[in-house]
Amino acid sequence: MRHDFRELKLERVTRHFAGAGGHAFAALDELTMTIRRGEFVALLGPSGCGKSTALNCIAGLLSLSGGAICLDELRIDTLPPEKRGFGMVFQNYALFPHMTVERNVGFGLRMRGVPAAEIAPRVARALALVQLGGQAAKLPGQLSGGQQQRVAIARAIVIEPPLVLMDEPLSNLDAKLRIETRAEIRRIHGELGRATIYVTHDQDEALSLADRIVVMRDGVVQQIGSPQQIYAQPANLHVARFMGYRNVLELDVAGVTGDRVELAGGPMRIVGTLRQALGSRRAAVAIRPEELVVGAPDNVANAVRGRVTGVEYGGRDSLIEVTLDGGVRLLVRSDARAARGDAIALSIPPERALVYPA
Amino acid sequence: MSAAALPGTGQPTKAASRPAFDRALLLAIPATLFMLMLFVYPFLYGLWLSFVPAKGGPLANYHTFFTTSDLWPTIGTTLKLALPATVINVGVALPIAFRMRVRGRWQRIVTTLLVVPITLGTVLIAEGMLNYFGPKGWLSHALQLVHFYDGPIRLTHNYWGVLISLVISGFPFAFLLILSYVTGIDPVLARAAATLGAGSFARFRHIYLPLLAPGLAMCFCLAFVQAFSVFPSAVLVGAPAGPTRVISIAAYQAAFEQYDYSLASAIAMIMGFVQLVIVAAVLSLRGFFYRGPVAGGKG
Repeated sequence: MRHDFRELKLERVTRHFAGAGGHAFAALDELTMTIRRGEFVALLGPSGCGKSTALNCIAGLLSLSGGAICLDELRIDTLPPEKRGFGMVFQNYALFPHMTVERNVGFGLRMRGVPAAEIAPRVARALALVQLGGQAAKLPGQLSGGQQQRVAIARAIVIEPPLVLMDEPLSNLDAKLRIETRAEIRRIHGELGRATIYVTHDQDEALSLADRIVVMRDGVVQQIGSPQQIYAQPANLHVARFMGYRNVLELDVAGVTGDRVELAGGPMRIVGTLRQALGSRRAAVAIRPEELVVGAPDNVANAVRGRVTGVEYGGRDSLIEVTLDGGVRLLVRSDARAARGDAIALSIPPERALVYPA
Repeated sequence: MSAAALPGTGQPTKAASRPAFDRALLLAIPATLFMLMLFVYPFLYGLWLSFVPAKGGPLANYHTFFTTSDLWPTIGTTLKLALPATVINVGVALPIAFRMRVRGRWQRIVTTLLVVPITLGTVLIAEGMLNYFGPKGWLSHALQLVHFYDGPIRLTHNYWGVLISLVISGFPFAFLLILSYVTGIDPVLARAAATLGAGSFARFRHIYLPLLAPGLAMCFCLAFVQAFSVFPSAVLVGAPAGPTRVISIAAYQAAFEQYDYSLASAIAMIMGFVQLVIVAAVLSLRGFFYRGPVAGGKG
């Protein structure tokens, strides 16, 4: 088993499962990408999108229905998991309940036949890295959820794997611990200098951790890009919806000039930016609640008027529900004060109203 | 938030120091009475009876048992049947149950097949064995037909007949019990071990076996107690006058052939004591193993 690598290549990696009525469906459909040494890649998508399937295929816990996985020039998709040598962190920790923390962390080293004299200092180093130095003699059941997860991380990294795979490692932790452990994971990734593939359904986690994000839906990759690209320039409507473009309006196309599209519906006229070629006269415009501007000076483009129909207080700002004169509802995140029944005007810069085929 | 939860307004609860009587406990009365009448009373009665022999002091029955040459060796005879039968049942059931741990068609088929001998009862199994393994049985005929073995097959009316019968009736029990233990172990633990470099044998050795050990000990005890009290098959497919004269036959003869209930009670008490010793020995081994939840974290 190797400890270092240049790149991991996934080529048309496909996995079918038997579905209802004996029909096979593709949980993962032709995933192709290359992960380079040092990279932190997040697989992001709603449950059932195939992100965990992809991770299990890479780990060797699921066999492929098609495609190939290569670590540099070595084809690994035919190897069992114990021969791949990737470290994996599971969602429910999967710590061995009958072994102490120390034996849990040392398990991978013992399986590799590392001499006992070498195991102890390496385990101690890994536990120090996850800041669990004093807990070595405890059983997993005596630790808190956050500590257990850090043991799981230590156990995965102590074997110095070329690649660390993480399957929603933070989803069982509370909000505060999640943010702390997130920072830890990023720090540990930096210290190891290898690669991490991180599965999550949480956009914030993916945006804050990853160098590159793979957005998936129904087993198919929707977009691969940097956090900035995924956040600001979603490739299609699914990605936009998933990345927090909560206002999606379906309107008629009134005209296209370059990448500017004029959309109309009832009394509303919105100029947006084309993100994906249109196939028909209908289009969807996607707008983030935080990019709508409260107040519309007379000469501004893309102004709409309506009434406040709901306010969800969120501390620094509020999520305001506005029902437009035509009956359409929009969500606006703003620190402006608003109360139910207030008349309100909103505007959106044309470059932040993204237009996709409906 | 209720006002009582605010600091300074709540009263420390006195009930915490002395919990109120839980009336749900009354529901246990019928079962307790049942246990007292059908288990505790007969046991204590038998114990008392064993100390009031027809003639001699209170320990005369025990003295008789350990000095009579056709009584005390029955302990060894029974152990020689019960221990190998239990080891075979648990030892064979473990790998098969382990292979069957993944829920699927095979698990259902095998489980269904194995439930059948449990429902048959030992007498019917003995009947079947006489037809199948007897000197003129199907097995003998079949072997002679293919000229594999032409001599007479002696698998009934001896030690082997009883051992086979104990395996047939005891194996399904051990299998089903172990299967339920194996399927209770979170398979993600084995997956985690695999990613850490453990091959299939190492996963069994380091993950499944230690987590199964307490369950296996329990299964061993139950299977042993079942085998140690062997009676019908020892008579029907064994040699009850000789090599399979087990302790229960001795007790039966004392009670119903010599009408010495007191001696029979003493033999039953000795039988119970031997079982207790083995069970206690096996269960004390459990102390060396981890006992606790067999999942690897939050579910």
